Amino acid sequence: MINIKNLEFKYHNKLIFNNITLNFEKGKITSLIGPNGCGKSTLVKILVGLYRYNGSIIIDEIPLLKDNIKEIRKKLGVVFTNPDNQFVAETVMDDIAFTLENMNYPKITIRKKIEEITKYLGIYDILEYNPHDLNSNQKQLVNLASALVHEPKILILDEALTMLDPYDKERIMIILKELNEKGLTIINISHDIEDTLISDKIYVMNDGKIILEGTKEEVYKEENILHSLGFDLPFMVELSNRLKFYDLIDNTVYDMEELVDILWK
Amino acid sequence: MEVKFNNVYYVYNEKTPLSKMVLGNINTIFKEEKITGIIGKSGSGKTTLIQLINALIIPTKGNVVVGKRIISKTKKIKDINNLRYQIGLVFQMPEEQFFCQTVKEEIEFGMKYFKKSVKNIEKHISDALLMVELNDSYLNRNPFTLSSGEMRKVAIASVLAFNPKIIILDEPTIGLDNKSKNNLIKIIKLLKNRYKKTVIIVSNDTDFLLQVVDHVILLDKGRIIYEGNKYDVFKQDLEKYKIKRPKIIEFEQLVLQKKNIKIGYRDDINDLMKDVYRYVK
Repeated sequence: MINIKNLEFKYHNKLIFNNITLNFEKGKITSLIGPNGCGKSTLVKILVGLYRYNGSIIIDEIPLLKDNIKEIRKKLGVVFTNPDNQFVAETVMDDIAFTLENMNYPKITIRKKIEEITKYLGIYDILEYNPHDLNSNQKQLVNLASALVHEPKILILDEALTMLDPYDKERIMIILKELNEKGLTIINISHDIEDTLISDKIYVMNDGKIILEGTKEEVYKEENILHSLGFDLPFMVELSNRLKFYDLIDNTVYDMEELVDILWK
Repeated sequence: MEVKFNNVYYVYNEKTPLSKMVLGNINTIFKEEKITGIIGKSGSGKTTLIQLINALIIPTKGNVVVGKRIISKTKKIKDINNLRYQIGLVFQMPEEQFFCQTVKEEIEFGMKYFKKSVKNIEKHISDALLMVELNDSYLNRNPFTLSSGEMRKVAIASVLAFNPKIIILDEPTIGLDNKSKNNLIKIIKLLKNRYKKTVIIVSNDTDFLLQVVDHVILLDKGRIIYEGNKYDVFKQDLEKYKIKRPKIIEFEQLVLQKKNIKIGYRDDINDLMKDVYRYVK
């Protein structure tokens, strides 16, 4: 879906990416993790066409070039780290409508689509609020609604989950999985390894380089590399590993209830 | 320094049609050399509560006592700057707190603002940076160009530099990576153990809180629902209040519910493992 080949990128004469290659597959959830400041957000900015680059990037069969950016953006829904930087309107309603208006949707369709997505995300009751009066959690949910309302093929989350309250985060992760099962390709950029539990594939980045890539099982095995980059394992993986060490279980168990049942049969 | 809430009420837009009570009947003490976590879903009154401590807002009814100073509607505080000098408040999004061109100016602002004649200002700045595990190479950098973890550290350093007795952190872990979070845990423990500070943390990251706090207060709709020892609060049904329990406590509660086995409460996965091993074997 998004193929990045031999990407090279300099910012203020500093080499950020030196010849990296990444593939975000269609219909999959791919996570890209790395410590603060490793180049993750820069990559997102390149993908939405904010920076010029060297190398080749193809998004849903269209090369990412200046002339194609409008067309490519229709395929993308993006949620950035800082929720405040994304608001354009006085009410949540108008804010979410903005993307659709730009794509010339009729008014009646806009209303319908906004109702659908906000009910789905559980923020229907704040449609008339000024986005700036919301808390960071609600703001991020509004941004997610704006990113999804035009039914993009690809959703890019730039640290969007990390800004959520743990309770809402769990709720949203279930929703993301649901959307993914309906065909949405998701690129989840994060510095929290717990956020990668829903992914089919994980890339680990440091200093603009890809250090690890593979399924979550393959990546979680590389505990030493992850530790050296400052990552702990997700709680359930860590717990499973220790239980395996004591021979109490055989495989990693991701569900806590299931684990309790296995331990005390 | 202790902070005491005596029957505190706070009403926004009092005596207008938009009047709304955000805190009611708050009685609690934040003890010296203790770390307290305040949890509660958005809109539960957490931020209002901490704003009352440094008199950014004044209680509608009741009073807040910080050390020997009383914050109430009836008596105007004469030396509000002296009060605020004792309280270091680190806001949720540090980038909203910055306004200087360099890290150095940002950190020295607090000291200069309170007009304290601080000897060796440079040393205070370096020490504050060291406490958050940054070094002097950051002094001339623009705070707006730092990563989110580094920004958080600079925001904390700028508060530590003027050496307040009470430190309040509003959602300190939002947006931080694992490593920065672990560093923050170390820093907060030092604040209590070595520097004898009173620390108050507003956060719904209960996994993080479990590792650092002594006490927890759960707010809902402006009222204190639970208050006490962290284990006593965390084992309650917090889902009802849209709060996730710490994963370790969740595990222990599940074992208790499903298997009727009490494996005890732990902060740490290592200790938890020892218990599990004992009970399964």
